[in-house]
Amino acid sequence: MAKFVVIGERLSTTAPAINRAFTERDPEPILKRAKQQLDAGATYLDVNIGPAENDGPELMKWAVELLQGNFDNVPLALDTSNVAAIEAGISVYNRAKGKPIVNSADAAGRIEYIDLAAANDAIVIALCNGEGIAKDNDERMMYMQTMMERGMEHGMAVDEDMWFDPLFLVIKGMQDKQMQVLEFIKMISDMGMQSTGGLSNNSNGMPKHIRPIMDSAMVAMAMMNGLTSAIVNPNDLRLMETIKSCDIIKNNNLYADSYLEI
Amino acid sequence: MPFNGKSGKFNAAIRTVEIGTGDKAVKLGGENVLPFYTFDAPIENAPKIGVMITDMGLENEVAGIKDYYNGCTSFAEIAKKAEEMPGADFVVLRFEGADPNGENKSVEDCVAIAKEVGDAITAPLVIEGCKNVEKDAELFAKVAEALQGKNVLILSAREENYKGVAAAAGLAYNQKVGAESAVDINLAKQLNVLIGQLGVDQGNVVMNVGSAAAGYGFEYVVSTMDRIKAAALSQNDAQLQMPIITPVAEEAWSVKEAMASEADMPEWGSQEERGIDMEVETAAAVLASGSNAVILKHPTSVATISKLIKELV
Amino acid sequence: MALKGLDIFKLTPKTNCKECGSPTCMAFAMKVAQGAVDITKCPHMSDDALATLSEATAPPMKTIKVGTGDAEYTLGGETVLFRHEKTYVSKSRYAVSVSCCEENMDAKFEAAKAVDYDRIGERMHVEMLYLDYCGDCDAAGYAEFVKKAAESGKTLVLGCTNVDVAKAALDVCKDSKPILDGADASNYEAMSKLATEAGVVLGVRGADINELYDTVAAIEKLGNKNLVLNVGTASIKDAFATTVQIRRAALKNTDRTFGYPSIVNVGKLAPGDAAMQAALASLFTVKYGSIIVMEGMNYAQALPLYGLRQNVFTDPQKPMKVEPGIYALNGGDENSVCLTTVDFALTYFVVSGELERSGVPCNLVISDAGGLSVLTAWAAGKLSSTSVSKFIIENVEPKVKSRKLIIPGKVAVLKGDIEAKLPGWEVIVAPNEAVQLVKFLKDMQANGEI
Repeated sequence: MAKFVVIGERLSTTAPAINRAFTERDPEPILKRAKQQLDAGATYLDVNIGPAENDGPELMKWAVELLQGNFDNVPLALDTSNVAAIEAGISVYNRAKGKPIVNSADAAGRIEYIDLAAANDAIVIALCNGEGIAKDNDERMMYMQTMMERGMEHGMAVDEDMWFDPLFLVIKGMQDKQMQVLEFIKMISDMGMQSTGGLSNNSNGMPKHIRPIMDSAMVAMAMMNGLTSAIVNPNDLRLMETIKSCDIIKNNNLYADSYLEI
Repeated sequence: MPFNGKSGKFNAAIRTVEIGTGDKAVKLGGENVLPFYTFDAPIENAPKIGVMITDMGLENEVAGIKDYYNGCTSFAEIAKKAEEMPGADFVVLRFEGADPNGENKSVEDCVAIAKEVGDAITAPLVIEGCKNVEKDAELFAKVAEALQGKNVLILSAREENYKGVAAAAGLAYNQKVGAESAVDINLAKQLNVLIGQLGVDQGNVVMNVGSAAAGYGFEYVVSTMDRIKAAALSQNDAQLQMPIITPVAEEAWSVKEAMASEADMPEWGSQEERGIDMEVETAAAVLASGSNAVILKHPTSVATISKLIKELV
Repeated sequence: MALKGLDIFKLTPKTNCKECGSPTCMAFAMKVAQGAVDITKCPHMSDDALATLSEATAPPMKTIKVGTGDAEYTLGGETVLFRHEKTYVSKSRYAVSVSCCEENMDAKFEAAKAVDYDRIGERMHVEMLYLDYCGDCDAAGYAEFVKKAAESGKTLVLGCTNVDVAKAALDVCKDSKPILDGADASNYEAMSKLATEAGVVLGVRGADINELYDTVAAIEKLGNKNLVLNVGTASIKDAFATTVQIRRAALKNTDRTFGYPSIVNVGKLAPGDAAMQAALASLFTVKYGSIIVMEGMNYAQALPLYGLRQNVFTDPQKPMKVEPGIYALNGGDENSVCLTTVDFALTYFVVSGELERSGVPCNLVISDAGGLSVLTAWAAGKLSSTSVSKFIIENVEPKVKSRKLIIPGKVAVLKGDIEAKLPGWEVIVAPNEAVQLVKFLKDMQANGEI
């Protein structure tokens, strides 16, 4: 089995410093955060430029070239609701280290993102959602099927290039739904498909010192159920140590005493 | 429907490590397929063969080996003859006599032999120790120093002495470092990590992951190599992408099948032939399992394995 | 071979009609993959889809039986490409080839019997004879030759592409369940009919891997799936490529057309070169040769080869054990010192090898330690002062006069207890590693201690 894929989430407009750096085209804060994430073990970096309605394509191109140019063609997830920006990003993207990820499609308004990924030989994160959050796993599966069929229509290798996102739910508020999400991950895995998601959403609103603990527990249980990737903060040491340890237990990586250091 | 032979080529590859200098330098590794799977992708660097000579001379060798080296009176002459052996790619000098539990030759004597051999040949040189970790650490540091500029492979750094050996060979004197683990994949990986953490470029490391004569727990050798190649190629594990070198001669010629006299085992037939076949079959099996180089000693074995490799690559 | 939900989903109508009881076709596919629901619950599965599924759930490689009685062997049935993934189930079998116009035929048959010995409870011998048809002899002549070969009791492989000649040969030997290795692109219909009627396994060959594939597919279409695949003799490289690719196609890519055992004729790949044949036999034992044909088999070739096979095909779950007992080495007798270790085969071989190198006469005493290594056996309580002393009292004391016992250095802690339980014995602790035994024993001998 392949190693768990960590997609670093820290290059996001939701962080004021990064938002400003994107707006001002200031490389320094972006490169600094990218390096921190890669040093900590991120495989992919998520590049969330927000809606970027005015200059999306130009901004995404700039970001892709900046990051790939500085970090040996680091593979990227292009994260924006601006379709033209994603296309522009892919147009300058170097695939030497991995296909670009389109973040993200769903089974309703954003289903065309699958078409976009298929047309560009990209990976697509497929959020198992329609309009609003699915009420149960039957519904999630319905959305998954809709998206999978869409991918198959386009001839995508759906078991490799569609990464299904079960949608991690916040524990404070939806504690009773957590096992359902984990069961759905198992279903995706049983189908022979890849999965990912914004895992730390589960600990939203919890005290800062609790979150790494809860996220670590969640990732361990989710990996047990077959989760193959997550969009997380790689600079959360406890979380990364848990992921690396789970990769050892799952035989995704050969053990060596120094496994946490590599 | 015609046969659709899906390629088993990997996206990752084994690192290429060069030993020796000049025209006769050899490259180990570099492939992105399983051993001899040339139908998946071309293998640029065919596996290589080292001819082993020892600091103990020829006295204990079988007739066929003595005959081959007939007339050689010095280590320089023996080494010269070894590099000329048809099928040989490099020469391996093994310091069997350095063992404190054996001849206990001094480090100075060994260094003198190493220099004599190093100066006599143009083929790449590999240095093997006596397996005593303290003595080897001392010996390797001095030999690596004495042979500076020859890009020799020091076989090898082990868990107990890697700091000294790898620092001397890999850092101070810019030689190639062998990392030795005894059929233990976790240790194989760990040693590579540790040697890397010392600052040795991982492109200068070759692994000896352990060997056994055919029939003597060889399943561990097969599985160790299978798993290392799987991790290196299919999981792209950078810490296991070093080429593998396997000493075969010393294992093959020291088991009962190769050592029992014809008087003791008349039905077994020629003792020398038994040794050769043990060496040949063990070598073929370690190559099939993933070794990028084997160390042999009998001219017939070297010729046979060399031909086998040529046929397969 | 377990099917992924996705593979099943692709065959469903994808209409989410719910008639199967599941809310979506996807949910249905998953339940089928888990074995929770039978595929027939879906009323809209096409016959093609069902056929594809039943094909996909069949074993990836057929298990083929050849020979009868003691000479019956199972070939194929493998499920993994690497022994660490699970275990190999059918070991390689070795054959010696003899031609029908061989002058010293009797000597050849006799020579094929020369190698016959026991290694850790396994009989090591040439299991099969490959009977080459020269192309010139008449049918009766070949049949006569085959009849003679059958007296060896070995399983026969008839290497013959001539249908009439093959028929005559089968008439005299079909009851012993030989392999008829003779189908090719030009004769497969007749050969397949012949093999089917005689109830024997058919060997198939092709000019290259594609022709081999097409011929197998054509024979399967005739309803014959009792096959072995001859990987050809064009070149070593080609034979290796074919052997690996057919095994990989079957096990990894579930291409069942190639899901059969292989025959590799290394004698023809390196005629007259015994050392090269030894190398090739070793190569194909590690990589996917089911029947390996050589021009001959002497002890020099056999000893490493059978040892290798025993290693490669050992079940990783079951340790190889040697029989408990007293093994006298270097001419050891009742007055020679005793050494003891465990019955784990590897330990036994390593220790006995070093003892032999020392040249010191001794008795190696092996008691039942569950086939575990020294430290593991000790930790599991299988190598204890009780187990050792009991074995010594019951089995050694009646036969051996020496009262010196050397125990493994790794269980030095047992010394006191063993001495307490074995009055009259001197217990000596050996070094930690077997390789140090040579010096240890030689020193003892030099000092007159033994």
